[in-house]
Amino acid sequence: MGTTRTIKNKHAANGSGIKGSKASKNGPQSDGVIKAKKNQPKGPQPGRGIKGRPNIADILKKRKKRVYTEKELGIPELNKITPVGVTKPKGKKKGKVFVDDRESMTTILALVQAEKEGQIESKMIKARQMEEIREARRAEAEAKEDERKAKLEETKDSIRKKRKRKGGKNEDDDVNGFKASLAAEGTKAAKPKKKRVSFAPE
Amino acid sequence: MRPLTEPETKVVFDKLANYMTDLKSLIAPFDDGDRYVFRLNHSRVYYVRLSIANMATSISRDALLSLGTCLGKLTKTGKFRLHITALPILAEHARYKIWVKENGAQPFLYGSNVAKAHVGRWSDDCPEHSGCVVLSMADIPLGFGVTARSTAEARRLDPTGIVCFRQSDCGEYLRDEDTLFAG
Repeated sequence: MGTTRTIKNKHAANGSGIKGSKASKNGPQSDGVIKAKKNQPKGPQPGRGIKGRPNIADILKKRKKRVYTEKELGIPELNKITPVGVTKPKGKKKGKVFVDDRESMTTILALVQAEKEGQIESKMIKARQMEEIREARRAEAEAKEDERKAKLEETKDSIRKKRKRKGGKNEDDDVNGFKASLAAEGTKAAKPKKKRVSFAPE
Repeated sequence: MRPLTEPETKVVFDKLANYMTDLKSLIAPFDDGDRYVFRLNHSRVYYVRLSIANMATSISRDALLSLGTCLGKLTKTGKFRLHITALPILAEHARYKIWVKENGAQPFLYGSNVAKAHVGRWSDDCPEHSGCVVLSMADIPLGFGVTARSTAEARRLDPTGIVCFRQSDCGEYLRDEDTLFAG
């Protein structure tokens, strides 16, 4: 029984209605509560002093009675009747809040659309940047490839020239080449002459 | 049947904005004062005229199978899934479009992604991973999906490469007949 009473006291933040009714029925019980005792030494002295008006004293008592919050009582968090996570905020409307009027819907719509536009815009910018980077990289790779090819061609040419220098008699080359060919011919011509010369005296 | 709450409305609009450009036209009022509203019944979101929605209040929730256009369904985790039934609304104000050739329409309608070889033409400047509506060359909407590559990247792709991931196609009317409106 005692526990149920305390429950009721806790539940009702103001609780004066329930308490009052009990207090009116059972006077000594309400005094038995610790909080009431604390107030008693200050309160009852004037109340008892005026014996002719007990009703007014009672009203004063009720007014002065201090209501302790749960924090002030210092009850452990887990020892409460309503669990910690379950407590609902006071003064908040119960249930869902629907959006059905055009204004609020338009507001949400505008917000969403602006957000989405921004996202798409940033995506496009990013894609463009990436495309530029890719383009630059490709151009660089192409340039390198061209350079390599040019080098290869050059070496090929130089090898060809060397071959021609060695083997070709009928060359229509540039001046240097021509001179070189001439020189080559000269050396080649000199050898058989030498032989001939060597044979000639005999 | 009830109107949507604020977070639900936001989620629905967010998904629609992926595919559509002009959302305001969705809730624009008519000359006669009527307008389209969103209603939720059995976790399905319906896009319906207010006058019809008001009339539908006389039918109990359990007895009400469908009303207006079913846009999709709200999952238990709070996300929104678009259904193929929303296609006419999406196609009207589509942000990006992909037109598939005759030879690509059939594979798409059977549930496969769109390959580059099947694409007839596509919207320019389309970034990757953005919603797009898939149409036949005769401009008939076939479904919708998400682009796999941006337009520039897709140009360099080989013919077998996937250009668009399928999200929903008209074949679902037959394939998902049982679960499209209930269950």
